[in-house]
Amino acid sequence: METFYEAMRRRGVSRRRFLKFCTMTAASLGLPPAMVPEVARALETKPRIPVLWLHGLECTCCSESFIRSAHPLATDVVLSMISLDYHNTLMAAAGHQAEEIIAEITTNHKGRYIVAVEGNPPLGDDGVYCIVGGKPFLHQLQEACRDAMAVIAWGTCASWGCVQAARPNPTQAVPVHEVIRDKPVIKVPGCPPIAEVMTGVLSYILTFGTLPELDRQGRPKMFYSQRVHDKCYRRAHFDAGQFVERWDDDGARMGYCLYKMGCRGPTTYNACSATEWNDGLSFPIKSGHGCLGCSEKDFWDRGPFYNRLTDIDQFGIEKNADEIGAVAAVAAGAAVAGHALVSAGQRLLQKRGSDDDNA
Amino acid sequence: MTGQPDLPDTQMESLRGAYVYETPVRLWHWINALSVVVLSITGYLIGVPLPTTTGDASEWYVMGWMRFFHYVSAYVFTIGLIVRVWWAAVGNRYARQMFYLPIWRRSWVSELLYQLRWMLFAERRSMLYLGHNPLANAMMFTLFLIPSVIVTITGFAMYAEASGHESWQYAAFAWFIDLWVNTQDLHTIHRLAMWVIVLFAIAHIYTAVREDIMSGQSMISTMVNGERLFKGRGVIKR
Amino acid sequence: MPTTTPNGFPLDASGRRIVVDPITRIEGHLRIEVNVDEQNVIRNAASVGALWRGIEVILKGRDPRDAWAFVQRICGVCTGVHALASVRAIENALSIRIPENANTVRNIMHLALTVHDHLVHFYHLHALDWVDVLSALQADPRATSELAQSLSPWPKSSPGYFRDLQARLKRFVESGQLGPFKNGYWGHPAYRLPAEANLMAVAHYLEALDFQKEIVKIHAIFGGKNPHPNWLVGGVPCTINLDGAGAIGAINMERLNVVSTIIDQTAQFIDQVYLPDLTAIASYYKDWLHGGGLSRKNLMSYGDLPYHANDDSAGNLLLPRGVILNGNLNDIQDVSLHDPEQVREHVTHAWYRYPDGVDSLHPFDGVTEPKFELGPQTVGDRTNIVAIDEGAKYSWIKTPRWRGHAMEVGPLARYVIGYAQGRPDFREPVDRLLRTLDVPLDALFSTLGRTAARGLEAQWAVHQMKRQYERLITTLKAGDRTMANTDHWEPKTWPAVARGAGFVEAPRGALGHWAVIEDGKIANYQCVVPTTWNAGPRDGKGNIGAYEAALLGTPLADPERPLEILRTIHSFDPCLACATHIVDTEGRELVSVKVS
Repeated sequence: METFYEAMRRRGVSRRRFLKFCTMTAASLGLPPAMVPEVARALETKPRIPVLWLHGLECTCCSESFIRSAHPLATDVVLSMISLDYHNTLMAAAGHQAEEIIAEITTNHKGRYIVAVEGNPPLGDDGVYCIVGGKPFLHQLQEACRDAMAVIAWGTCASWGCVQAARPNPTQAVPVHEVIRDKPVIKVPGCPPIAEVMTGVLSYILTFGTLPELDRQGRPKMFYSQRVHDKCYRRAHFDAGQFVERWDDDGARMGYCLYKMGCRGPTTYNACSATEWNDGLSFPIKSGHGCLGCSEKDFWDRGPFYNRLTDIDQFGIEKNADEIGAVAAVAAGAAVAGHALVSAGQRLLQKRGSDDDNA
Repeated sequence: MTGQPDLPDTQMESLRGAYVYETPVRLWHWINALSVVVLSITGYLIGVPLPTTTGDASEWYVMGWMRFFHYVSAYVFTIGLIVRVWWAAVGNRYARQMFYLPIWRRSWVSELLYQLRWMLFAERRSMLYLGHNPLANAMMFTLFLIPSVIVTITGFAMYAEASGHESWQYAAFAWFIDLWVNTQDLHTIHRLAMWVIVLFAIAHIYTAVREDIMSGQSMISTMVNGERLFKGRGVIKR
Repeated sequence: MPTTTPNGFPLDASGRRIVVDPITRIEGHLRIEVNVDEQNVIRNAASVGALWRGIEVILKGRDPRDAWAFVQRICGVCTGVHALASVRAIENALSIRIPENANTVRNIMHLALTVHDHLVHFYHLHALDWVDVLSALQADPRATSELAQSLSPWPKSSPGYFRDLQARLKRFVESGQLGPFKNGYWGHPAYRLPAEANLMAVAHYLEALDFQKEIVKIHAIFGGKNPHPNWLVGGVPCTINLDGAGAIGAINMERLNVVSTIIDQTAQFIDQVYLPDLTAIASYYKDWLHGGGLSRKNLMSYGDLPYHANDDSAGNLLLPRGVILNGNLNDIQDVSLHDPEQVREHVTHAWYRYPDGVDSLHPFDGVTEPKFELGPQTVGDRTNIVAIDEGAKYSWIKTPRWRGHAMEVGPLARYVIGYAQGRPDFREPVDRLLRTLDVPLDALFSTLGRTAARGLEAQWAVHQMKRQYERLITTLKAGDRTMANTDHWEPKTWPAVARGAGFVEAPRGALGHWAVIEDGKIANYQCVVPTTWNAGPRDGKGNIGAYEAALLGTPLADPERPLEILRTIHSFDPCLACATHIVDTEGRELVSVKVS
């Protein structure tokens, strides 16, 4: 099988541009310049790895994000870095000719292919809510993962469940790690994940031949160990107490902090504020809207999105902690006042009673 | 109206008072009270900030100070709680009371019910206690101690977010973050626990004042000088 | 046994059954089953929507201001159209009037998505139905260059460029790792392009894949990211600050320059690559005019792109509104989303259940309760469907009808309606294309016509985007910097009960959202999306929908490799995550599969 370097040369890439590409890849992975030769060596000697990219219950935003990658370009990834042998949205094959590819790769490349999952399997009603090739998606997922070297969970669907798993989760959709337990599952959450984060994770694996270091939740540390808030360019306004109070107000025009508009940056682990979106052009906060927290588990059920505090449905009423607390405090105050009144009255009566006794 | 519970009636008319709260307990009480006030106010304003400031960001540090005072008083609160636990172990029996509920003791349960009836005006007289009465004990345990522990753990877990995954806070409290994953939940729990403590403070201050006036035993001065004084006659429980 | 559907399509399911599952190069999961006669001509077809997720039920009880974010996740390909329909539905319900600037910015974002979606569809989802990648290896690079230069001034057209590309392609194929081109129907007799045209198309396939990411940067500017940019009930979240302090935190001259530059680049790509390719490919297939189906009879468009904000009247919409019934181009009927008699959904052949005695429901009163069951003629079982029984329930897609009629929606519907209304911006490009290809107007009603209308619309959209951008600049010059109306932002300003409908002409056709708000929360939410109209199963009377109708009468050159089915189905640009509805969990027991 040909190597990544050969593949690039085949695409008419000069040695010089190849090394430049290695430098860029190293930079996008946050590696020091000293590592560039290692990146180059890895790409020169490794064959393209087969990737089976499966779609469960999802919206294809992860695939769309993937092809937005600017460094490396999605065409470079697809044609030169990996062998994208199965991808519902891009592949030429259809029907049984498509399904045969999964069988072929899992057999001929046992333990030497990656399964990338976009979306998740529904478990309700025997899994009939997502049918591929006449069978529940869960079957395809389990079959494809059986001999994979690693599983990448693209996006919040595969990582945490996402929108179809929001209350009441009608299809009983579950994240991938709940059904694939015997393989390392790399979570790359986000709705969708940033394009360069997706290609960055892939190129890290291909370059170093190892999985990136993961945090306790199974997310690559290099992209998910800090909050959007930590690296937000509006952080100075947060610290100063300068907030957008209403949409399109003077604070909004000044680029003040969106905390009061419900921004979830302080509780969201993602690379948005540093890597930014669409070739580093912007990210939600930069364009005036708070972070929705889309890379976080169950972020859909931590709304409403425009309140800083989460509604607590467990109380049967949708109120946030402050509303519940304030009601309780007012009730307690009223109870205290009432109690004090009754106590005073009783004391007065007792006093009169004891006065009468004395009389 | 029910009568006195079935208790060994120990008339201790001769006892006019006793030294119950040792200095560390009293000191902790007031420092803790102050830290709770600062924590609640700054905490509330971190979640619901003051109206926006204007002008150059470098001229202001409103949220910065808010968080600074919150963290400082949080450390005071936490260290205080730890010291208080230590003192419960080495101090007198009254220092231990708020750390457990002796529900296995039938007399304690019946006295708890008696105190409840007293608070509901169904008993004419309060019982007299050297330490905490069972109702006060129950409130301190459930409405102060438990939320305090929750508030501390969630607080440090959130602190770990700001101080980063390499910090000792993260090393110590990441297990708790794992339970929720989405740290937005930590904020919600933290805030709910704060409100429970605020409720406790309201009830605590009111009942202390009321009992001071109506139960025939000193309350507020006891937390100042440590002496419990009995003004009226009554059954004194230990 | 041959029958004829009430809407006039002959069906005969007696022949050989051919199943294509999955239909790839679409969004979501779709299964197509057809019967062919002895001459391998399709005589019966069944379109099976193979997933649903439950967004509408999940929306119940949520804050209406959050709804756009939920429904936006219905689809990440046509990202934004559901969000736009949602904010419009909520604004309609709460009588919120948005500023002119917000309307213009929304138009620009919607047009950017339309152009992007059409471009990606043409090259990456549809082109391989017409273009044989492997045949490109036989091309003469010099002849390819001549062909390219005869079609367009696009600079990447030298013989050397195509020679390099061909050499790279050759090495790629020889590597044995074909990646996304693996197991394609290469060498299929239905491919008709000469090798040179194939090579040019492959080059543009790759160029378009690199270029498409530029177009949606417009979303990143106004909405912070793409896919799934941010929207706002009452306006748009981005603010304008052209020359004041802090302007770097808002839409300023630099940001506007990004937008205008991208519009110019996109216009160049569409004008010099997409449209010439479309014309060239069409010229080789102009006698393959199968796949017209329902488009000859019934077409519908809600209209879109309000020129002025807050005016939904047809005259204010830049994309035409109307219904054509039974092919009568002289009588365009009006459409209303609020009229309970017009848009109604049926579930006779969909895996849902309505209350007893209910035949169809208007979306405001929509019920979505699942009922998965397979008919007696099914081959296989529920976890291994070999052949579906289309006489029973057979799809997760509901069956929407307009006054009881099946409708085809999409770019072709918009173009035919605009053409019939005599709008010059629709009529002239159509006439020009028909003249170039030397085909009659009737040729529009075909698979190729659908694909051509999409291309023309992409061109219309990119130039319209330029006009919308200029309009934004004009209002900014006039001093209007408002981007959001927050008068009714707080729920306490809302009526206790409100209902509203929002419509969008999405890339794939007419999209409607219906929202009922009670006490500040969503009480009911229903979406009827383009793919529901086109891909839906039969209704109770036996009328077939657009997908099924379009496949009838199409000959398959090689039934083992049903390229023609892909071609016609792809011409609708299916979006299955959009099409499939949601369940109501009340009173329903879920059976779980065991996970080992």
